[in-house]
Amino acid sequence: MTLFELVIRSMRKNIKNYYLYFFALIFSTTLYYVFAALQHDSSIMTATFADVQFASLFKVSGIVLLLIVVIFMINANSIFLKRRSREIGLYQLIGLTRRAVWLLLIAENILLGIGALLIGIGAGALMSRLFLLILMKLIGIETVINLSFSPTAAVQTAIVFALLIGLTLMQMLIKVYGTSLLALFTAERQGEHPKRPNAAVSAIVGLFSITMITTGYMLSGKEPGQELFLQMLVILASTILGTYLLFRVTIGWLFYSVRRSRNGQLGLKNSLSLAPVMHRMKANANSLTLITVLSAMTLTMVAIAYSLYFSTENESHVMLPYDFIFENKEQDSLAFRTDLEQAGIKFVHHPVDAIRLAGIYGNGENMERSTLLLGAEQLQLIDPELITPRQGEAIWYKGQKKAMGIEQDTVLYPQEVHLGTNGFQSVIRITEGIDRYAVNFNLNGRQLVITEAELHAIRDRMPLTPGQEIILLDTYQIADRNGRAEAASLYDKYAKAYRPTAPDFHSYYQESLQKFGLIIFIAGFLGLIFLIATGSILYFKQMTEAEQEKGVYTILRQLGFSEREIMGGIIRKQLFVFAIPLAIGLVHSSFAVKAASALTLSDIAFPAAMAMAIYTVIYFTFAILTVGYYRRIVRLAL
Amino acid sequence: MNDNNMKKTVLHAIQIRKSFGVRGNVQQVLKGIDLRVVEGEFVGIMGPSGSGKSTLINVLSTIDQTTEGKILVEDVDISNMKNAELSLFRRNKLGFIFQDYNLLDTLTVKENILLPVSLGKMKKKAAESEFQAIASELGILEIAHKYPYEISGGQRQRTSAARALIHGPSLVFADEPTGALDSKAASSLLGKMEQLNQQRSITIMMVTHDPVASSYCSRVIFLKDGMLYSELYRGSKSRQAFFKDIMNVQAVLGGDHIDTV
Ligand SMILES: Nc1ncnc2c1ncn2[C@@H]1O[C@H](COP(=O)(O)OP(=O)(O)OP(=O)(O)O)[C@@H](O)[C@H]1O
Ligand SMILES: [Mg+2]
Repeated sequence: MTLFELVIRSMRKNIKNYYLYFFALIFSTTLYYVFAALQHDSSIMTATFADVQFASLFKVSGIVLLLIVVIFMINANSIFLKRRSREIGLYQLIGLTRRAVWLLLIAENILLGIGALLIGIGAGALMSRLFLLILMKLIGIETVINLSFSPTAAVQTAIVFALLIGLTLMQMLIKVYGTSLLALFTAERQGEHPKRPNAAVSAIVGLFSITMITTGYMLSGKEPGQELFLQMLVILASTILGTYLLFRVTIGWLFYSVRRSRNGQLGLKNSLSLAPVMHRMKANANSLTLITVLSAMTLTMVAIAYSLYFSTENESHVMLPYDFIFENKEQDSLAFRTDLEQAGIKFVHHPVDAIRLAGIYGNGENMERSTLLLGAEQLQLIDPELITPRQGEAIWYKGQKKAMGIEQDTVLYPQEVHLGTNGFQSVIRITEGIDRYAVNFNLNGRQLVITEAELHAIRDRMPLTPGQEIILLDTYQIADRNGRAEAASLYDKYAKAYRPTAPDFHSYYQESLQKFGLIIFIAGFLGLIFLIATGSILYFKQMTEAEQEKGVYTILRQLGFSEREIMGGIIRKQLFVFAIPLAIGLVHSSFAVKAASALTLSDIAFPAAMAMAIYTVIYFTFAILTVGYYRRIVRLAL
Repeated sequence: MNDNNMKKTVLHAIQIRKSFGVRGNVQQVLKGIDLRVVEGEFVGIMGPSGSGKSTLINVLSTIDQTTEGKILVEDVDISNMKNAELSLFRRNKLGFIFQDYNLLDTLTVKENILLPVSLGKMKKKAAESEFQAIASELGILEIAHKYPYEISGGQRQRTSAARALIHGPSLVFADEPTGALDSKAASSLLGKMEQLNQQRSITIMMVTHDPVASSYCSRVIFLKDGMLYSELYRGSKSRQAFFKDIMNVQAVLGGDHIDTV
């Protein structure tokens, strides 16, 4: 029999194992191709964003994607190799040299690789359209785009996968040459034997692991100082190490304690869950840590991205409460008004009085800050929720969260502000700071809202100098979305010169939507891949365990345990295996999201929870698949 | 025997047949076997390799199904019970000692032994005292917290036996329980089984190749080509005398394992 015949024969025999590996290959290829195609499609890039930031976002995401594909493939391949250990040993036993065995594996792998590459690129070409449609929908663009087959993407995919296959060949080399025959034959057996953990050491390490994680959490809650990058690194390192120790020691110790307290009366469910999990704790610590960290990262990424996307409109409103504002441009305002009337767009026009002058804030910094004084009563005509401060007091519409890092020392209230420099002085007490803007953010100066009477009093006393001016804001609110879009194009005509410094709500919103749409798309895309990768790794691992435990199910069936009772134990085991990493990942990510929420003005609890819920649901479909696989095995066990 | 007629019938097999294989290539392994076992009997099953001993014990113990025939255990017909019913039945009424122990590697000796009562109605305290009793009888109390890989073959077999007995089954099946043991360990286990059989009047059916092992039984039946070939009752004979009888039948049967004692 030639080597080639042997390859074909063993492939036919191993179809079940291959099917798993093949799927992993195809899956990775498809997604990689889709990403490469999107990245290389010039029409997308030019049509939507000429922005350099996005190009680099795509690049970085490409690297992250590559990384996850590598991790996934190496994991899948090592599971696959482990399942075939006996076969590899058998070949050597019947007299094939190690070299021949390796060549055999190479031949198989290359055949599989080429097949998977072709199918993957084909599937990718079909899928990329779908993903492009989703992307366009997300960023609110409704042009007809045709994404044709991209040879560049195909070549890039082929190169990357050639390298990847090379990597798995190295893995095989190590397996074939670096493992003793005996080890090959026993590899499929159950893992280590749990030792009685040293109570003192376990307690200390357990405590340490929890300390590490809480340190990470607490650091993440702290406002980032100068060394943001270093701080993030420390958070990551301590959380990951803590998680690893948690799996390696703490959970094992917990299980051991529970088990000991049972004093031999473990019960069927625990015998099928607690006991086998304990017997693999050491081997599983790595992969469970990996899965937890990946889940936490994915959850954080998706939750934040979705939150940003979700709160785009709200955020835009906070930044630009008025659709249009003309500052001291009565001519333009009048012309704009006429245009709106002619175009039949419904609108509300309100002139708002304001004063801009310098102020020294009572926080000891002794610096002059440009300040915009606004009358509460006038603003209330548009925004009834605005509170009127008392006479002599002001509310500061800061429009930024404290975590932005700037001007942290001004957060103490009440504080005094000394207004005016040139020939007049006025002191106002700021009683409160609010995380939004009273008028559009682009208007120069800190926005202090005072009573209208106070505003007039200051205006009357204030000499007009270049640093102290009276301002007339012509504000426009448009009734509906379509009108707003139309009005935005009318606004263009007047605002050509000052448009970049005086954005209108509609354009700003559209721009944000595009930005965050792209971000949620990439986050979602990567998240999906992460999710499928982690889910598949768990599924593959459990498949292998199920095969290994076949004998156990036979014994239990013979002892008279029914399929249903055995499945009860298996479901509990799956809960451990799937739910523990997810739960820890969820806790990690909620701290991360909480830290990140300081960056936005909107409440992101809801969108973040949504994203996490969706993630959890998809994640658990893998658990259900796994249970289904076990069920087949248990059914056929007797 | 007379006194058997008065005792309760634990197991009654009527004309059981068992075939393997698919159409065109069917092999009949059991060719109509009748068997009655009464309470407290210790029945040995012997016969040449391939004669159907394991198959017989598997169908009797409901692990496998008959092709034809009827099996009554304590007057309950098990041949047409549903799967779930059978499971429950096995768990409550039967005990198994397998040739290759069939212990769970991830459980300690004690956990293995207590497994059959884990879903039952037995109280924790009762289970614990039952465990203490059986484990000390079988001499495995000291290794209760060890894992199967840490103990010897004989200890594993005794663990397996303890697991078969913990829930007080009315019928214990053993397929070559001494197959992997040396003669000392084997006779110790057999002695224990004999003792349990007599003291607790548990009914035992044991497949074995070893005439010494079957000399512990109260009755030995011989299978040949899927049929009952003959049977021997020990009666009041000594073990040595019974052993000689068994050897004689085996010599005629021309099976394997007619080595020295
Ligand atoms: N699952 C099966 N499928 C097909 N044939 C089987 C099956 N199980 C047993 N047989 C056949 O039934 C016959 C009897 O097998 P059995 O295992 O009952 O023999 P045995 O008396 O226990 O032999 P041994 O002493 O070697 O254990 C054998 O010829 C065997 O090939
Ligand atoms: Mg047999």
